[in-house]
Amino acid sequence: MFKAPVWLAGRRTVVLTAAVLTGVLLIAVLVAGWATGGRSNMTEVDGSQSAVLYTAGHRPVAPEFTGTTLTGARLNFSSYRGRVVVLNFWGSWCVACREEASTLASVAALYRSSGVDFLGVDVRDTTASAEAFARSFGITYPSVTDPGSAITLDFTAVVPIAATPTTLVIDRTGHIAGAVFGSTTYPVLTTILAKVTGKTAAVAVSR
Amino acid sequence: MTDVRVPETDPFDSAPADSGGQPRPGPGSPAAGPFGLADWLKWAWRQLTSMRIALVLLFLLALGSVPGSMLPQQGNDPAGVQQYYTSHPALAPWLNHLGLFNVFAAPWFAAIYLLLFASLVGCVVPRTFRLAGSARTLPPRAPRNLARLPRFAEYATSLAPAAAAETAARVLSAHGFRLRRPAAPTAPAGTADSGGPEAGDPPGGQEEHWISAEKGYLREAGNLIFHLALLGVLVSVALGGLFGYKADRLLVEGNSFADTQSALDEFHPGRLVTAADLPPFTITLNSFDASYISSGAQRGQPSSFDAQVSYTAQPTGPVRSARIQVNHPLSVDGASVYLIGHGYAPEFKVTDARGQVVYNGAQPFVAGATGNFLSQGVLKVPGAQPEQLGFTGVFVPTAVDIGGTLESVFPAADNPVVSLIAYAGNLGMNTGTSQSVYQIDTAGMRQLAAAPQLLRIGQSAKLPDGQGTITFTGYRQWVSLAITHDPGQLPALICGMAALGGLLLSFMVRRRRVFVRARAGQGGTTMHVGGLTRTDASGAFEDEFASLAAELKSAHQQAAQDQAAPPHVPATATPSEGE
Repeated sequence: MFKAPVWLAGRRTVVLTAAVLTGVLLIAVLVAGWATGGRSNMTEVDGSQSAVLYTAGHRPVAPEFTGTTLTGARLNFSSYRGRVVVLNFWGSWCVACREEASTLASVAALYRSSGVDFLGVDVRDTTASAEAFARSFGITYPSVTDPGSAITLDFTAVVPIAATPTTLVIDRTGHIAGAVFGSTTYPVLTTILAKVTGKTAAVAVSR
Repeated sequence: MTDVRVPETDPFDSAPADSGGQPRPGPGSPAAGPFGLADWLKWAWRQLTSMRIALVLLFLLALGSVPGSMLPQQGNDPAGVQQYYTSHPALAPWLNHLGLFNVFAAPWFAAIYLLLFASLVGCVVPRTFRLAGSARTLPPRAPRNLARLPRFAEYATSLAPAAAAETAARVLSAHGFRLRRPAAPTAPAGTADSGGPEAGDPPGGQEEHWISAEKGYLREAGNLIFHLALLGVLVSVALGGLFGYKADRLLVEGNSFADTQSALDEFHPGRLVTAADLPPFTITLNSFDASYISSGAQRGQPSSFDAQVSYTAQPTGPVRSARIQVNHPLSVDGASVYLIGHGYAPEFKVTDARGQVVYNGAQPFVAGATGNFLSQGVLKVPGAQPEQLGFTGVFVPTAVDIGGTLESVFPAADNPVVSLIAYAGNLGMNTGTSQSVYQIDTAGMRQLAAAPQLLRIGQSAKLPDGQGTITFTGYRQWVSLAITHDPGQLPALICGMAALGGLLLSFMVRRRRVFVRARAGQGGTTMHVGGLTRTDASGAFEDEFASLAAELKSAHQQAAQDQAAPPHVPATATPSEGE
């Protein structure tokens, strides 16, 4: 009685199995391809992901680093603990950095009395070009050199720095409170600083 | 892709044909009766998994890749795409709509790829089951008339049919054939799932003596390996596309870089890769050596490239040294770092009108197609005051004045000279879109001197109008590194080799059957030996069958002799004959 029918009966099942398996694989590939992770530990400053404020309690810890400033002095980032720091990754070769430079210079002057320090990280640059940049835009705050992007690499481990410029606002406890990816603007930077220091730009000016 | 060379009713297909010889129902075939949605789906699935469609898809995949190499691609040559837009303003937007500037990410390419994938899966899964089934299936019974088979031999033996069949079985088994023999004659017909008297057997239940033997099952295994490996190649390529990445970085001697997105010149991540997945290594280019053949017809041809680097796999890890050469990449933390290009970076020192040093460093120049590393580049000094300065330049590694023009006669920097044209004005770098470091926009600038300024190492030139000075202080070399991670590379290689092996196996191994019938005749037994194979273009089976038939005959002769001569009494059992 058992001739071929065992096989014939199984064939439909096999075809069905193959079809289902293919379907599952296809769906898996598509779902994996479209998967995007949402982030809830940050809020957008100006309606785009390019400027964000990290929610208190979810602020990444800024890595420690030491470096050499453009003027040749040693600088230890831990000496800034207890103050709000605006850490600006820049390069004299970068158009967007030149675009934001005068904004940074004026906001730095504005918030100096509010306990906010500005510090530059000069990426992929040479000292002569960087110093010329600082002279051109009247930047008086220091910059550490990062020709090999080593400092950038350390920070990339905690914030997604994709390009130069990137500006990070670090709170008094050494946590990263805000980030601007790309060229920053006066309203964006002052909004973040107002949140972190509790002082608006106008208040900062009046003091 | 159901079967490679198998006709619909294949005597070798040990699994029963699914269609059973009936015409397959299809749309428009009136015999099929009402054709519902389920039938349509079934029909579509059968079409998709057919060999023909798979081949069409494979061909389309190859065809679809052609524009990827003919047209500039957004991924690796965005400048080329822009260039295409300028030179073909009417055509380019249409090509863009069709995704031809980003072929491998185009929906239609993905559709072909996924359909081919589905087709292969739909083919391989049933095939696997079928192979598993055929591994358990015995060869068919011996046909009644073996003389009608393509190969046939006949001889007589004095052995009884049962003993003759036994001998034949032994010979065939020794050759690795899988055997099938009649069921035990005592078993009632129909109880065994194999054997039993065949229809058309001589009446009276006369005992039959036959052997069916089959060989070459590896062919099916090879076929299956080929299909599975093909599937593996597709999966590997998909793995690379999803989890792989490619990045480029130009590095001047003495400089270092960290493998992070903002430090890379180009970064092309796979679909499921982000910059956070980059391994955090750091590479310093200590020195680069390029050697060139210095004499003979091959003069000027490169003989070796050697980049000496030190690297750390982790930011706080130990510093190691390595050499990167062409085809000898550095492997670090899952990524491969390839040396893909090199060139010269002349070093300049520029002071502006106010006497400030506004530039002091190396600027990579890129060699043109003219050979001997005559390289072009630009130098932008946005920090110069009161006006920004810019230079276009040519670096000549071994300069020789030929009829008033400088030419490079050798790629090594034996007599380096730079030729510079200076500009002053606005570089356009303070606002707007980011600029290439290899291009200068002189629209807002004026040329300072009509003639290019030639400088040797250590020489300076005063810029006209008191705009400052430029000094050619030396040169360094640069390398271009490609950082790639392709998790599908090794699997793709293994699968590719397996596919080739499987294909060879399925080509070289043939399924072949040999049947033996022993019939009692006058004064002994008549042996019929028949052979069958699918194709035998090379005649290999003809030879195999001939030698097998000869071996069977001699085995039967031997057995007959052994039977005729009574066994010798062992010498030790006859003491009377002792000395």
